[in-house]
Amino acid sequence: MTRDVKRALREFRAPDEGGAQRRAWSVVRDAYVEREPARGRTRTRAQLALVPALAVIAGGLVLSPAGATVGRLITKAFGVRHAAPMLSSLPSAGRVLVSGPGGTWTAAADGSLRHLGDWTQASWSPRGLYMAVASSDRLAAIDPRGNVRWAIARPEVSDPRWFSPSGYRVAYLSAGTLRVIAGDGTDDHLLAARAAHVAPAWRPGYSFQLAYVTAGNRLVVRDADTEQLIWTQVLDAKARELIWSSDGSRLVVVSARSVRTYAGSGGRPTLLHLPSAPVGDAALSPDGKRIALVIGGDRVVIVRAGSASTPVRQLLAVAGLRELSWSPNGRWLLASLPAADQWVFVRALGPPRVAAVGRIAQQFSSGGSAKSFPQLEGWCCTVQGPAG
Amino acid sequence: MSAADSLVIGGELGRRRPRRPRSEQALIRGALAGSEADLEALFRRFWPRAYRAAFLIVHDHAAAEDIAQEAFLSAIRRLDRFDRRRRFGPWLSAIVVNRAIDWARARTARRESAGEPADAPSPPEVPVGRYSQEVLTALGSLSPEHRAVIVLRYLLEYSPGEIAKALELPRGTVNSRLRRGLDALESRLNEVELR
Repeated sequence: MTRDVKRALREFRAPDEGGAQRRAWSVVRDAYVEREPARGRTRTRAQLALVPALAVIAGGLVLSPAGATVGRLITKAFGVRHAAPMLSSLPSAGRVLVSGPGGTWTAAADGSLRHLGDWTQASWSPRGLYMAVASSDRLAAIDPRGNVRWAIARPEVSDPRWFSPSGYRVAYLSAGTLRVIAGDGTDDHLLAARAAHVAPAWRPGYSFQLAYVTAGNRLVVRDADTEQLIWTQVLDAKARELIWSSDGSRLVVVSARSVRTYAGSGGRPTLLHLPSAPVGDAALSPDGKRIALVIGGDRVVIVRAGSASTPVRQLLAVAGLRELSWSPNGRWLLASLPAADQWVFVRALGPPRVAAVGRIAQQFSSGGSAKSFPQLEGWCCTVQGPAG
Repeated sequence: MSAADSLVIGGELGRRRPRRPRSEQALIRGALAGSEADLEALFRRFWPRAYRAAFLIVHDHAAAEDIAQEAFLSAIRRLDRFDRRRRFGPWLSAIVVNRAIDWARARTARRESAGEPADAPSPPEVPVGRYSQEVLTALGSLSPEHRAVIVLRYLLEYSPGEIAKALELPRGTVNSRLRRGLDALESRLNEVELR
């Protein structure tokens, strides 16, 4: 009978062996082509020369006039002095979307706030006409008044993201899997069975290429409709955030201690040289040329995307920084400061200017009492949606 | 090129004997020297059994694909340091099987902690081939650790000593798991024969 067991196992064929083999070979071949031999891995002369040069550049810019001017307005310990007690306006056009224990809200340019429901996460559709929102067991699309257009029940939903520019697809995480649903709430399907808890990122302008990270820490760009693998890379460090440039030409991968940029077609990434400190939140400017980063939890720096030798410009220095969001025109950065219960607006282009608003948690709580600080979900858009 | 030319060029060379498959060591040497063709030959030789082994343990084709793929990626990353006196197949299989056991354990833990009956819906997982469904059903009644021992012994043809080494288990444990696994499989396959 042992012989029969042996024969049965030899004749066993798993599902879709041919498809699995094709997909795996494509991944393995890419890894082979990209691999670096373990021996003989030495720094090139150019790389060695870069290190002191960068140290000088960064050191110089930390003391730049912009940093010094902004520094005077800020107390190192707890937020910005003379913060406004209420949000009366945004320094730039558009609306800021937030979510938290107090639900999902928008803040308009004139300072008006609108509660959209008790959702835990949200993200803008490309033109700000809708929002994809999530609760623990539901994904939904709502309009700027909070009316639910469609909803679907799924376990442990998080990180919904709309495809740009059409909004025809929404990708989201659910119980360790990556799923995709059409923008009208139909055709929900599984794309990856084991996804890391990193928000997926659509490649703007490339229908419908989606970047995501597998549970095995592999970066994958896949066509969400055909499931065809576009490219993949094994990541050296655990990814925390994926950000495409607005033209889809660059993908930024943020890890706890490093930031890498990939060309849209993959290949070897460019490692940004940054001050030696943990990397917090990252935000790519709307034109895709600058990356704003929280470094060490107490500095906001701006680096040029796609260049290893980018100068580092310090924009803000204050303890307790958490999240960043660019204004739609790329002139302002909004930084959240939960420890001081503040939002800090910093002008990133032109003469430095800082404006802070306090009591943020209270303003974004549905019951009026102070609750937990909300998370920034994006500042959108120059195109106005219907009656926001 | 004319027909005549092709005949001249063909000549004796046209009646080549079928080439013997290249040895595992030769393929590894070639892959290390940068030959993608050799790497592909190595991949094609070992992928099917790696994927089947993973699938038989985890019973989830997407996870099995990921596990086998990750094992190959791990092998590629370590290719420079691979001891060429060792056989590639058992080395790869040990990675696959251990990862598959870890994945199956983690899934069980997730289900228990979440109180969920099953994972989110996956695409259909219909194995093909004679007895495939019966083998899968019979293995389904065993723990991942028991499945792994059966797969290593009867699919990948390890000796009990090699299994003990790969899974870091006492030889007696391997033998007892083999016995229990075989009983389950035999009774299931007997049922099929009696139909």
